[in-house]
Amino acid sequence: MAKAPERLIREARRGKEEALLKLFDEHHLPLFRFAWRLTGSIADAEDIVQECFLALLRPDCGFDPARTAVRTYLFGAVRNQWLKRLRRRDQGMALEPVDRRTPEAEAVRGEAAGAVAAAIAELPGTQREVLLLAHYEQLSLAEIAEVTQLEIAAVKSRLQRARATLRESLAAYAPQTERII
Amino acid sequence: MNDTELDRLLETWEAPTPRPSLRHGLRARFPRAERLGFVRPLRWALAILVASVALVIGMAQAQSSYSQWDFGDLPVVSLLHRMFENFMEGREARRVEQVVAKIRQSDPKVYVDGQLVAPLEFGPAKSMDVEVPGEGLYSIVLYRFTRVRNAAGRPTGWVEAGRIHDSVIEFQAGGKMVRIECDRPIVGEDRPVFAMRRR
Repeated sequence: MAKAPERLIREARRGKEEALLKLFDEHHLPLFRFAWRLTGSIADAEDIVQECFLALLRPDCGFDPARTAVRTYLFGAVRNQWLKRLRRRDQGMALEPVDRRTPEAEAVRGEAAGAVAAAIAELPGTQREVLLLAHYEQLSLAEIAEVTQLEIAAVKSRLQRARATLRESLAAYAPQTERII
Repeated sequence: MNDTELDRLLETWEAPTPRPSLRHGLRARFPRAERLGFVRPLRWALAILVASVALVIGMAQAQSSYSQWDFGDLPVVSLLHRMFENFMEGREARRVEQVVAKIRQSDPKVYVDGQLVAPLEFGPAKSMDVEVPGEGLYSIVLYRFTRVRNAAGRPTGWVEAGRIHDSVIEFQAGGKMVRIECDRPIVGEDRPVFAMRRR
């Protein structure tokens, strides 16, 4: 029988590495994707994801299983880590700049993909987060509200605005049929 | 562009799969259990100690006189029991000392069957003496663990004869009721009074 996340966290805090790895195996993929789409860097995304799992082990970790699912909590942790890095960068501390056109990133993009990445990068902060969580990670509006600490209505409107903006900025990549019509 | 077309376009931006270094890195940064290796046995020892003390305390509460227990078969529990007993007795002795000091400062008046009699005399070992007309001299003590029987099971002469509550000590001396009234509260909870006839 699968162990509840809170039990795995408790065991991991007691020094059981397997418990943390089990949690990691269950949740790391979407977290990594989210972190990578936010940062544009594999190294940064890996660092953020590792940091989020290690933060669960700390006694001052704010995870409360009665209030939030571990998946939602971890997405929130990724977001917070990313915001922390952005602030550090804004304060001029050493941090590699986010470069969405790194060779590693370009390797996985075609032309359209590059345009999508660039268009999403241009979205205002929370619109981008909401879009990434909704479209790429299939989180519900309620879950996104929890991760971004917004009201559900605000999440919904940001998602609509983000999609409207993308529709305009990516119009050139619309299927040919539509452009003919 | 409709919703479906936009969704399809967004799907072209694929994320890479994470490298094995993600998992390896997490393992490398995991706080090693080795540093807990020394603490864990201590934790167990502490847990056993706490459980044993809890057992002793539980039995103390269940028994009216825990001094009559026999733990001869369990050396560890017996040792813990003795430690607990010494601790409780020491604490009780200090408490009695405080109570007697309070009585001394509270102008105690002694009544035997409602009649004021000679004042209380303070004796050794926190005992108090009362001259009960027609019955003789009685010593009283407030020590909860006063032994009413010795190791051989014979009476020591001390008997639980009454109670002290608030500012009043009452006890039975032969056929008479002795009441000692203090001018201020002495105890917050009732305590037993043990009496012994001296002569």
